[in-house]
Amino acid sequence: MERIQRSPITGAITLVALVFLFVPLIVVVLFSFHETSGLSFPFQGFSLRWYRDVVGSPQIREVGRNSLIVAVATAAVTLVLGTFAAYGLSRASGRWRGPLTLLFFLPLTLPGLFIGLSLLVFFNLVNDQVVDFKLSLTSVAIAHFVYVLPYFLLIAIAALDRLDVALEEAAADLGATSWTVFRKVTLPQIWPVLLGATSLAFALSFDEFIITFFVIGPQSTVPMFIWSSLRRTVNPTINTISTLLLVTTLVMFTIAFVLTLRGSHRHGEDADILSDAIGGTQ
Amino acid sequence: MSSEATPRVRLESVTHRFGDVTALDDVSLEVHDGEFITLLGPSGCGKTTLLRIVAGFERPTEGRVLLGGVDVTKTPPYRRPANMVFQRPTLFPHLDVFENVAFGLRIAKVPRQDIRTRVRESLALVRLDGYEDRKNHELSGGQMQRVALARALVNRPQVLLLDEPLSALDLKIRLEMEAELRRVHRETGATFVYVTHDQREALALSDRIVVFNEGGVEQVGAPGIVYRRPATPFVARFVGNSNVLAVDVEPSAEGHRVRLGDLAVTVRADGVDEGPAWLVLRPEGIRLALAPMGDLVAQGGEGVRGVVLDHAFRGTGHSYRIEVSGLDDPLKCEMGGRDPFELGDPVEVSWDPDACVLLPRIADEPGS
Repeated sequence: MERIQRSPITGAITLVALVFLFVPLIVVVLFSFHETSGLSFPFQGFSLRWYRDVVGSPQIREVGRNSLIVAVATAAVTLVLGTFAAYGLSRASGRWRGPLTLLFFLPLTLPGLFIGLSLLVFFNLVNDQVVDFKLSLTSVAIAHFVYVLPYFLLIAIAALDRLDVALEEAAADLGATSWTVFRKVTLPQIWPVLLGATSLAFALSFDEFIITFFVIGPQSTVPMFIWSSLRRTVNPTINTISTLLLVTTLVMFTIAFVLTLRGSHRHGEDADILSDAIGGTQ
Repeated sequence: MSSEATPRVRLESVTHRFGDVTALDDVSLEVHDGEFITLLGPSGCGKTTLLRIVAGFERPTEGRVLLGGVDVTKTPPYRRPANMVFQRPTLFPHLDVFENVAFGLRIAKVPRQDIRTRVRESLALVRLDGYEDRKNHELSGGQMQRVALARALVNRPQVLLLDEPLSALDLKIRLEMEAELRRVHRETGATFVYVTHDQREALALSDRIVVFNEGGVEQVGAPGIVYRRPATPFVARFVGNSNVLAVDVEPSAEGHRVRLGDLAVTVRADGVDEGPAWLVLRPEGIRLALAPMGDLVAQGGEGVRGVVLDHAFRGTGHSYRIEVSGLDDPLKCEMGGRDPFELGDPVEVSWDPDACVLLPRIADEPGS
């Protein structure tokens, strides 16, 4: 019998898709090392001059610091609140668990545009009628928290659901109060996964644009800075900043994957929690 | 033991419902100091629920739980002087053997030096000296359950609760662990409440057995009593794997004359003098002899005739199912001997009159 022939069209389409995915990316990275300020081929040699420019620019250093502050704040708040929320949800009993979890995951399905707009309206409402609250990095961090929490919860709840509840009963039986059980039995088993989910929260926040666009104050973040620079002129430093942004995000995603994978392998399971959690939403 | 002594565990009219399902119906029980008591029953009979109520994981819908005379019905598990060994080994995966055993002592803030001594003693008790630094994945299933046993006993609980701790183990390890449990019970003098669905395990381990069925207690007694003198047809079937036959009893000079379908046989058994009854026949009390071909129905004598329907070699003997005309179900029979009967062999069935028990029966009560 002859083997079923794969259509050559399938291969061609795959190739085209890969080209569309990666060529723009490669071009940006490549031109961040360009010796001249030209943004077109032929390529005229490597240089780190744009990187020196970026590092030396006080303005770019400031937006970099702003992005870092927002991402760290978002990640930290998500880690603390998200862990408790995930623990509460995964140990909640029957009737309330489903609807509550759904509520927490709902932002995943909302367009960023809608989240940004509604948060802007909400912040203005608070500012007008409750307390003085001007748009700032704080409002950006709060908005990012709303945006990244569901991702964190997906991973954390998946990890918590895989834990053996009998272990927690055993600890309670040995005299541990629920807080001690959480500290001495639950947390030590899932901390790598939680740190992985926190890295993901950091990465999502660091390059977030749409929501930030609505709730940003007078200060700027890296994605905002790139966008506003592009409106004026296409400058090679944009490639450099974009490349730095890409690298930071990639590193954080890698950390997230490695930690969540290791977290699940520690307990002798093959599937990784991250893909499990993300697969579960589709 | 004096009857005035405070029982280690006292359950007063415990009823437990999950929604519409009654898992336990008005169960009262006393467990004495140092006793090895087993809650035995098929799955879903409520025995594990009862154990979880004693441990504090479930709060009974009605009734009271007392440990050492103190009402703990509303006490959370972490403040009860009871410790549990679970069905699966629930060792903390991030801790080594020493820290697993030390877990309860650390929470109770026992001084460091005492923790060392007590953990060592406890591991020695379950014969795992030198295993302190091992991790979970370096232990076999049997060793894990021994660590779990040490982890519970190190806290010197008033009562040790064991929820089918051997059910996940291989037969060979299970038999070894049974011997270990008996030894640990002897050496510690602790009170053990043990849950199992395995009647062999219950008979082998316990001072007393509590037989459960459908949320209620069928019988409480020493293994020998429960086995030889079942109080109900359920106990006879579940514990002794006995034949339970619906009969009618007529008084007679030599014992009880029992009408068994078309047959009339004499048994020596008390319990029911006249009227409808259950005749319990333990399988090992039945003897078979090769019968000449002919009528399968005995002619009113003591002997009952049947045909071998099924045969299984058990190593120590043989078990048979014998079809007897006039009986709805085949008779279960266990015998020693080298030469087994073959399928289809006509046999003469007789039994040790002492292997019979008569239990009261309401006329028209269904057989099972």
